[in-house]
Amino acid sequence: MHEFSAATQMVELVLAEAQRRNAKKVLEVKVIVGKLSFLNPEQLRFAYEILSEGTILENSKLRIEEQEGAIECLKCGYKGGLPVEDNVYYHLGVPFLRCPKCKGEARIIKGKDFTVKSIRIEV
Amino acid sequence: MKQASKVEAMVEIVKAGEGEILDVELDVNLQRRNFELAEANRRLLESFKVKAVDFMGSVGSGKTCLIGRLVETLKPEYRIGVIGGDLTTTIDMDLLSRLGVPVVQVNTGRECHLDANLVAKALEKFNLKELDLLFIENVGNIICPADFPLGAHRRVAVVSVVDSPYTIVKHPLTFQTVDVAVLNKIDLAEAVGADIGRLEADIRKVNPKLKIVKASCKTGLGVGKLREALEL
Repeated sequence: MHEFSAATQMVELVLAEAQRRNAKKVLEVKVIVGKLSFLNPEQLRFAYEILSEGTILENSKLRIEEQEGAIECLKCGYKGGLPVEDNVYYHLGVPFLRCPKCKGEARIIKGKDFTVKSIRIEV
Repeated sequence: MKQASKVEAMVEIVKAGEGEILDVELDVNLQRRNFELAEANRRLLESFKVKAVDFMGSVGSGKTCLIGRLVETLKPEYRIGVIGGDLTTTIDMDLLSRLGVPVVQVNTGRECHLDANLVAKALEKFNLKELDLLFIENVGNIICPADFPLGAHRRVAVVSVVDSPYTIVKHPLTFQTVDVAVLNKIDLAEAVGADIGRLEADIRKVNPKLKIVKASCKTGLGVGKLREALEL
């Protein structure tokens, strides 16, 4: 939903950094998007392309690495992936905050990041 | 999300020759900026001993009405302030200001959620010395606010049982970022054939830690339970 503003933040950051280094062009931008965030990589890409037009980012490659979610069990200390129920009824995998080992309650420890990892520039 | 321009990478500059291609590590977490501002809001509120509760829910789920009920119930014991987020209009905060509490309306213009930066600005409008409790009503949206903690001590998701029976399973991530879920308009459940047991089971499945409160902001039912769930 807020992909456009997220992409705006990203483009502003990259442009500022590229200009600081007197780059002629930005060739590639690598970002990490957490699977437990509400950012959709496809929509992010779409917004990025629109925002890149007419800037030194135009035609650059946006590499999106999706970060898997992880939870920590508050009871047994399990750390790892979330159990997902593939319920045909809902047509989607629903992630649960329940420990896959002891069924205890769990909290999210990874999967919400939106990080600009690196950029490749031509100077 | 105007704070974007303030984000600056702290990376050393390595001089490169003309036409050279350079890889630059930035490692800037754009979400973290909001987290940091949210933490700053939390610290500010705590320095004045103010407890804050953030309410999210779809348009028409009854957030304003529930906050109004809580204000009426808690006003004799707490000095309360309210921040309301909407794209435009001051309708909600006009309503709540009639209860005699200080209110600040934040109009986001285009944004679908409040962020910690907007809340920080709204906090400047209050005399925090004269508050014990702050309610924050987020923009009517059950998706985006989940990605943006504001610094509140508790988060509440308000679901109208009159709406879709799939609200919870369709938005699992939202219900994993809140502490309390309110099933509102419970007085209308029978009339619309809403399966409350099913909604409760969905909530427990998605996030077993969640406290569930069945309420009707129209009749006032469940407001006491909500107060308990919020430890107020």
